[in-house]
Amino acid sequence: MSSIFELNNIDASYDDITVLHDITLKVKSGDFIAIIGPNGAGKSTILKIMAGIIKPQSGSIHFRNRPMQKQSRRDLAMNFSVVHQFHENILSFTVYDFIRLGRFPHQKLWQIETADDRAIINSAVEMTGISPLLNRQITELSGGEQQLVFITQALVQNSDIIILDEPVSHLDIHHTTLIMDILHRLNLKGTTVITVLHDMNIASDYCGRICALKNGKLFFDGTPDEVLKYNLIEELFETPCVVLENPITKKPFVYPVPEYITKK
Amino acid sequence: MKHKKILLPAIIFIIISALLILFSLSMGTIFISPVEIFAGITGTEPVPENFIIVKMRLIRIILAMTVGASLAVSGVMFQSLLKNPLADPFIIGVSSGAALGATAAIVLSMANIFIVLFSFIGGLVTITLIYFMSKRLKFGTSSMILAGIALSFIFSAAVLLLYSAAKAEHVHKAIMWLMGDLSIARYSILTEISIAAAILIIISMLYYKHLDIISFGHSFSKNLGVTEKDVAAVFWIASLLAALSVSLCGIVGFVGLIIPHVIRLFFGPAHIRLIPLSALAGGLFLMTADTFARSAVPPYEIPVGIITNFFGGIFFLIFIFHKRNAV
Repeated sequence: MSSIFELNNIDASYDDITVLHDITLKVKSGDFIAIIGPNGAGKSTILKIMAGIIKPQSGSIHFRNRPMQKQSRRDLAMNFSVVHQFHENILSFTVYDFIRLGRFPHQKLWQIETADDRAIINSAVEMTGISPLLNRQITELSGGEQQLVFITQALVQNSDIIILDEPVSHLDIHHTTLIMDILHRLNLKGTTVITVLHDMNIASDYCGRICALKNGKLFFDGTPDEVLKYNLIEELFETPCVVLENPITKKPFVYPVPEYITKK
Repeated sequence: MKHKKILLPAIIFIIISALLILFSLSMGTIFISPVEIFAGITGTEPVPENFIIVKMRLIRIILAMTVGASLAVSGVMFQSLLKNPLADPFIIGVSSGAALGATAAIVLSMANIFIVLFSFIGGLVTITLIYFMSKRLKFGTSSMILAGIALSFIFSAAVLLLYSAAKAEHVHKAIMWLMGDLSIARYSILTEISIAAAILIIISMLYYKHLDIISFGHSFSKNLGVTEKDVAAVFWIASLLAALSVSLCGIVGFVGLIIPHVIRLFFGPAHIRLIPLSALAGGLFLMTADTFARSAVPPYEIPVGIITNFFGGIFFLIFIFHKRNAV
């Protein structure tokens, strides 16, 4: 498998506070990676470094075997897409007007939408099933519908590599499953998916590889069966837990133990 | 369905525009009926005696349309660039720099053409300073606004210093300039400035996708391949439009703030519609305001800035209360 991202000895800090320390990580083509860890462990920072939004203090990052800083923003945008966490910056664009922005890196200044662009937009819409939403304003949609729209826009931009920052946080189980199933189907078709997730059980069910960060350092990296062990999870989150087997997926299932039980 | 959605507003817009232009041609110190105007335009004999006034008013309309369109488009671009709905063409201090230039020319009793030239240079110096500061600050929105405010204070202090040393008549002239007044425009260079403004507005249209993306925030723009050069181009187009307008007829407030908001409320935030419609609406709004300015108390003219600020403020309040969820 060819290398997509290669992070070597990455250090990152905000205002002199070290957020990531000596991270070495390789993402291969076709990976479906979940990045997990406690709040403030540096999960979003590592994603921002891969996305080229922030630069590491030291260390090197290569994208497709070339130093990332030597590649133009436009080239990078043509090669991978990022689903951000939007907070207050959502504007009342119609869904169609928003998702078509994904074609931007592939178009020249003067260029208008071509038949190819429209075909790519249609296929992304079909993949995520958002055609009933196309004429609605993004601001009118529920959180789950908005997330589907953001993923569609990312697919319109590039469907080979997709980076997501907590795509299912705050969503109900219906939308969580819907979105994770879409990512799973994409991965089966060859898309490399890198996502920050809070829920280890979703990571366990869907991702082939789980990387955990703790205090800015890589804590573990492996398949769900290799890393979702109760002793590792307890140390990672400093919370007692049990690890069982999901009866449906046969994957590890992590269950935190309430304090009133542990004190018995 | 999609064509119907565009066609109907377009037809309404054209009818309103035509009526407003006709109204603006008729109104003034002397009322000229639309029938006489038609006779003059079609060349029917006899050409009305006062048709010369219509021609003069037409030039004034072109001026108002140029300035109104430039300010509205500049406002659209700054609101997107700074992700701030309260941004207007003067937010980065272009008006203060231009005011300093114009005041200096007035106080030094220079010819009118130098007032235009000096105010444009003042605006340009401000833009250049803000550009290099913003570049250093990676085009951070808050830092760009704060740098603009700081520069405005410095230039305002210099303007006040000039007032304190100037003759009373010069101070009056400078204050009239500050109010925004289309009657002080220098018609000799109107064609050149109108062409420059039209070219800048057309170029701004080419950046409609950039502006859409920029308004969704820094990370989003970066990951869609919008470069710092693109952001700089947007900054320069918006600033030059503001500087051109201000040098032509002083500081006309509110157009650049209110027009983009009103258009956004009705037609949404996508810049492919927002830019051309704001340009048209800005032009028509300023032309109508100017018609009031020159016909309300004949034979005097009220500086148009007073009209735009007063009615713009009332209009905006009504909008905020009626559509407060959308603002």
